[in-house]
Amino acid sequence: MKTDISLMVNGEAVSVEIDTRMILADMLRDELRLTGLHIGCATGNCGACTVILDGRTVKSCCVLAADAAGVEVTTVEALSTGIDDLHVIQEAFVDNQGLQCGFCTPGMILSTKSLLEENPDPTEDEIRHGIAGNLCRCTGYHFIVDSIQDAAARLR
Amino acid sequence: MITKEIEFLAPESVAEALEVLSVRGPDVTVLSGGMSLMPMMNLGIVKPSVVMSLNHVAGLDSLSVEDGELKIGGMTRHRTVMTDDLIGTHAPMLAEAARTVGDVQVRNRGTIGGSIAHADPSADYLPVLAAGNAELVLASSEGTRRVPAAEFFIDLMFTVREPHELLTEVVMPVLEPGAGSGYVRFARVEGSFAIVNAAAVIGEGYSSTHIALGGVSPAPVMLDASDLFADGLSDEALEELASRAFDASEEATGDIHSDADYRRNMAGVFARRAVELAAGRLATAGGGS
Repeated sequence: MKTDISLMVNGEAVSVEIDTRMILADMLRDELRLTGLHIGCATGNCGACTVILDGRTVKSCCVLAADAAGVEVTTVEALSTGIDDLHVIQEAFVDNQGLQCGFCTPGMILSTKSLLEENPDPTEDEIRHGIAGNLCRCTGYHFIVDSIQDAAARLR
Repeated sequence: MITKEIEFLAPESVAEALEVLSVRGPDVTVLSGGMSLMPMMNLGIVKPSVVMSLNHVAGLDSLSVEDGELKIGGMTRHRTVMTDDLIGTHAPMLAEAARTVGDVQVRNRGTIGGSIAHADPSADYLPVLAAGNAELVLASSEGTRRVPAAEFFIDLMFTVREPHELLTEVVMPVLEPGAGSGYVRFARVEGSFAIVNAAAVIGEGYSSTHIALGGVSPAPVMLDASDLFADGLSDEALEELASRAFDASEEATGDIHSDADYRRNMAGVFARRAVELAAGRLATAGGGS
């Protein structure tokens, strides 16, 4: 079944015709071409599809697109216009090699942003809890924690 | 990918939602935070034809204390249960349980009502609600009824909720001054569903000791250990409690995470730990962390 929804995406009002079966992650990727977020598991475990919905991080594979009518969504694309204009958090991930394959990185970046907005000086334990909903199969998390600590210091 | 066509409904009031359920209840799958339903739909485990979202319904996330009862709207997100001062003061066990649900994103989106209605026997809230004498409010277009948590869960993912009813509110008596409470869980990885969990409430001066166990039966298992701890904590009483918890967990089943016997033994261990935790909080009236 088709339906039209209107919502705010990265600060812009958009209207999209969607199928009611579509999940928010697919709508953002396939209809709006915001391919920064990834779909790893589609079961709410991996966090690669993390977006900020009405100010809080959520897993966009677990939100029906139809249910996103009227909400405000921020994806990783809102943080930067390109390689010459990286967000401080993205720079910190680059400088500390907080990524290898990069699949989880957009979700990690948004979880980091959300964590640091709430807690500008987190302990290592708080960082690990803050990114517990984002799985990385490459780095062993060590360099990601370093990246977040560095990002926190740069933002303070 | 969800393959089956969905009719999506997004009522904006409780009355509207109840009207939908009164007419089409058996065909309607209710969606709240979606942290269990959406993965099941994505995997094709459930294939609803009509999905009714509660995310646009006004007034289902209110919090209040009235006549000694804490009232929590069903659409209250885990994050709020974890951080809200009213809940932290009057039902610290609930906040303690919410803190252990899933991960940040899950707690941001998932709801207390959704978790309860989904009725996974390992869910964090279940033993807390049972030990805390909570009641669940089921509303329909014909009126409302309150069901004690201990009677709400009837089997694996089955509750007494009728298709025309909606779980609108969780009502829990406020923790009495001087009482202590505690919630503990056992899981291999933080954030995964508990293998066994336990909640304990001890009245001021050990006037009563109630424990509820989760993960060992489709519904929380209740233990009244008031007789054991009438004179306070002792090794003998804690050992007897562990033995009672093992015996009470005879319905435990095995799965990939643990076999039935291990679960029963862990039920004993975690019943003890819940009581020890609650007892440690008796002195500091209010309990909880």
